Amino acid sequence: MKLLSAAAMEVTELPDWLAAGGGAALERAVSDPTGVIPEIEAAGLRGMGGAGFPAHRKWQAVAEQRAPQKWIICNGNEDEPGTFKDRYLLAHTPHQVIEGALIAAVATGATHVVLYANPHDEHTIPRLEAAVAQWRGHARFQRLAQVLPQPPELRVHATSGLYVGGEETGAIAAVTGGFPFPRHKPPWPAHDGVHGAPTLINNIETLALATHALRLGAEHFRALGRTAPGTKLYSLSGDILRPGLHELPMGTPLAELIDDHGGGMLGGRPFKAVFTGGPSNTLLTAADRDVALDFDSLRAHGSRLGTGAMIVIGEGTSIVRRTAEYIAFFANGSCGQCPPCKIGTHQAARILERIEEGAGQPGDLEALENLVAVLPGSGRCGLVDGAATVLASSLATFRHEYERAIDV
Amino acid sequence: MTAAGVEHALALRRWAGRAPAEPVATPLSTEELLGGFHPDHRPEARTTLRVGASAGLACPAGLAELLQANALVEDIDIAGAPVRRADVLVVGAGAAGCVAALSAARQGARVILANKLRIGDGNTVMAEGGIQAAVGGDDSLQRHFDDTLQGGHAAADPELVSALAGDGPAAIHWLMGEGMAFDRMADDADAEDTLARLRVGGTSAARLLSYRDFTGLEMMRALREAVLLQPEIERCERHVALELLTDAHGRCAGAVFYDLLRDRLILVRAGATVLATGGAGRLHLGNSATSNHYGATADGLVLAYRGGARLRELDSFQYHPTGLAWPHHLDGMLITEAVRALGARLVNGTGERFVDELETRDVVAAAILRELSAGRGIERDGQHGVFLDTPTLVQEQPRILATRLVTVDRLARRAGIDPSREPLLIAPTLHYQNGGVAVDADGHTAVPGLLCAGEVAGGIHGRNRLMGNALLETVVFGRRAGAAAVATARSGPLHHVGLGHLGDWQRQLINAELPLDMRSPRLFPPYGHTDIAGRVEQLRASRQ
Repeated sequence: MKLLSAAAMEVTELPDWLAAGGGAALERAVSDPTGVIPEIEAAGLRGMGGAGFPAHRKWQAVAEQRAPQKWIICNGNEDEPGTFKDRYLLAHTPHQVIEGALIAAVATGATHVVLYANPHDEHTIPRLEAAVAQWRGHARFQRLAQVLPQPPELRVHATSGLYVGGEETGAIAAVTGGFPFPRHKPPWPAHDGVHGAPTLINNIETLALATHALRLGAEHFRALGRTAPGTKLYSLSGDILRPGLHELPMGTPLAELIDDHGGGMLGGRPFKAVFTGGPSNTLLTAADRDVALDFDSLRAHGSRLGTGAMIVIGEGTSIVRRTAEYIAFFANGSCGQCPPCKIGTHQAARILERIEEGAGQPGDLEALENLVAVLPGSGRCGLVDGAATVLASSLATFRHEYERAIDV
Repeated sequence: MTAAGVEHALALRRWAGRAPAEPVATPLSTEELLGGFHPDHRPEARTTLRVGASAGLACPAGLAELLQANALVEDIDIAGAPVRRADVLVVGAGAAGCVAALSAARQGARVILANKLRIGDGNTVMAEGGIQAAVGGDDSLQRHFDDTLQGGHAAADPELVSALAGDGPAAIHWLMGEGMAFDRMADDADAEDTLARLRVGGTSAARLLSYRDFTGLEMMRALREAVLLQPEIERCERHVALELLTDAHGRCAGAVFYDLLRDRLILVRAGATVLATGGAGRLHLGNSATSNHYGATADGLVLAYRGGARLRELDSFQYHPTGLAWPHHLDGMLITEAVRALGARLVNGTGERFVDELETRDVVAAAILRELSAGRGIERDGQHGVFLDTPTLVQEQPRILATRLVTVDRLARRAGIDPSREPLLIAPTLHYQNGGVAVDADGHTAVPGLLCAGEVAGGIHGRNRLMGNALLETVVFGRRAGAAAVATARSGPLHHVGLGHLGDWQRQLINAELPLDMRSPRLFPPYGHTDIAGRVEQLRASRQ
């Protein structure tokens, strides 16, 4: 993370990370364990996996528990279309993530830290294993025994790569040992997580940011953002000249992200919409070009920041085809526990595929609208809600494209 | 580059009164002759590719313009377009495409064979002379290999040449199994060696097998019947391939077609795609006349290159020495090399022979162009060429027109010439694309799921192709690519199939400051008035 620390880019060796100023935040945590959570709260750090839930509240909830075991899951299941930030952090600069996880362990009294990482990128797991081995053998890691009964068990767990495995309770099921079936909440993970123990689950980017919030101090960290604290990794893709991962001040306006950092629309084509990460939210359209990309501003615009993925759509790209692709992704990702989700997402995907392939029928759009009306809230996790949201939004805003696809 | 030639009537008198000529020693070395006179070496015609997997490769300017262009279709055009599915998609239905489709189908694959016009509309049927294969007792696979590699100036991939020569006899056997007829040696009692063989330019043995002087037509007849009788092959005629489909990982997943009959786009999704789209003659690079059929517009090169494939020897084309140069409306029509192989000579405007007619095609073509540029060519109604001395050949072999040169006789008579009395005016004609898409011995390109067979593929002929190796290539590599495509198609599912490769391609064009409004492939020559690009735009506009 360049804005936070130039040296945090592309550092895979622990000595390099420490030489560049890494480790200071962990030292601070070890010297003042009870001061960590107030500092994280003061920094305004929020969950970067999509929900934007204040990080300190999760940490506090686990810290308050009295239990022989406490777990931390560093959630790197990242699998959704258009999001590619966590895999970058894990494969290219894992130490800031691990340091953040160890800080959380100090603050919460965790006994186990699991780096729960998606193996789809072939580099992720080997590099993470190497990084973990470097920490385990290092004096700084052993020094955690000063504030914890012993240094936590630190290990890597390759995820199934399935979308539901990124849901908190799905991750708990996977780390406990099994298929990542999500379950109802409550009980909340802070009370009943891995093997029934209190469990903290944070996104990879959140943990990396925690390191920098503590290293820089809350005030400095907050000041890095524009409309909200800190920085954000925006995964920019689609019809723009320079797609890629951009770390920018939280609250950078959409137009600035596209035009200044993304080099503008590809080939100068007119802007149509943005699917935000991911992609499970209401589409942003031309009316939203000036919106600040932070959790609260986007919510006020009726959408969500999500993972910070911005899939930009220009003229010439079909909203129908993109939506069909994403709904098919959710249908394939549905674990099948909740019948409305399993049947509903598959039915929506089937109808969309039919429309996309020129076999749409009269009544198909009404059937889709009916589905998006009845499906939300019917699943144990948020999968079906996200699918319904993006489908409803795309139907409402670009209904003419659907009609045209059926018409031909 | 053509100087004023000798007037036709004067040239005829000189030809009639000439002394029996001996072979002429070429005053220039082969290198000097090619470097000085072969069209590949015209400096103004060459440029260097700036984008794509073969950036830096030398390429004719007219072709580079198409290779470095934007696609005709975009994502929104294919929303709502009907989709057909197959294990293997074969694009192009000349010999290579038909052989690939047959080979894939016989391994149990569901095959869609799609082509721009009709099955057999291609250059295969124009191959007159024959097909090479080392089947003779006095020949060997090694000699075929050596001749091919040497004939191509050692630029070919030896692995591909080895496949070509090595599979040759099996390919002939296979063709016989499909019902193709070959000329036999009528007076030979040896049952194991009854195929008529001819030694032709650039070869060290009598290796050319033939059926009259319409070998390709006979081959295509047999292949077409085989395709029609193969139930696993679904045929999509008059389907014009506009763009490849790719999946999320850049693997080729089929193609987008314009259906000429129904005026709409359709998609074919397939686990493996074989491009067998032929050559580029109808681009008329450097304003050259061409022997190629109407659809030879380099579509396969364009599609494969945009999909990420590498190309090779793109600046090397074969100019057949003996294209008809008069009358104008038959400009470029091919007169088989067999005429020279059987003994016909080339004579310039001063009544002299000027080259060993059995030299490789590039040398003979360059020698003719040298005569033309030196003013020793012959001019008739503004057309320039040299004489192909058929009357002398007929004197020496009186039945030759009726037995071996049926097509030549017919073509001459269409031109109003009696070839037994009057020599034909000929000049080099753009005949064959020596290079093409880089492939391995099974036809795989650098793009997963994309294979090439036939003229569109490069690396087999190096920088010059020997007569008869083109037909052999279609069969050898058609069979290999068809079989390999079946294995590829079964290698896993496809996700997010679409035009995902175009975004990165457009970024490359923009970064190289190339225009996005230049579109390709060309699909039909402009004089054909079949403006597919315009029709695609109309379709798009009608849906706004």
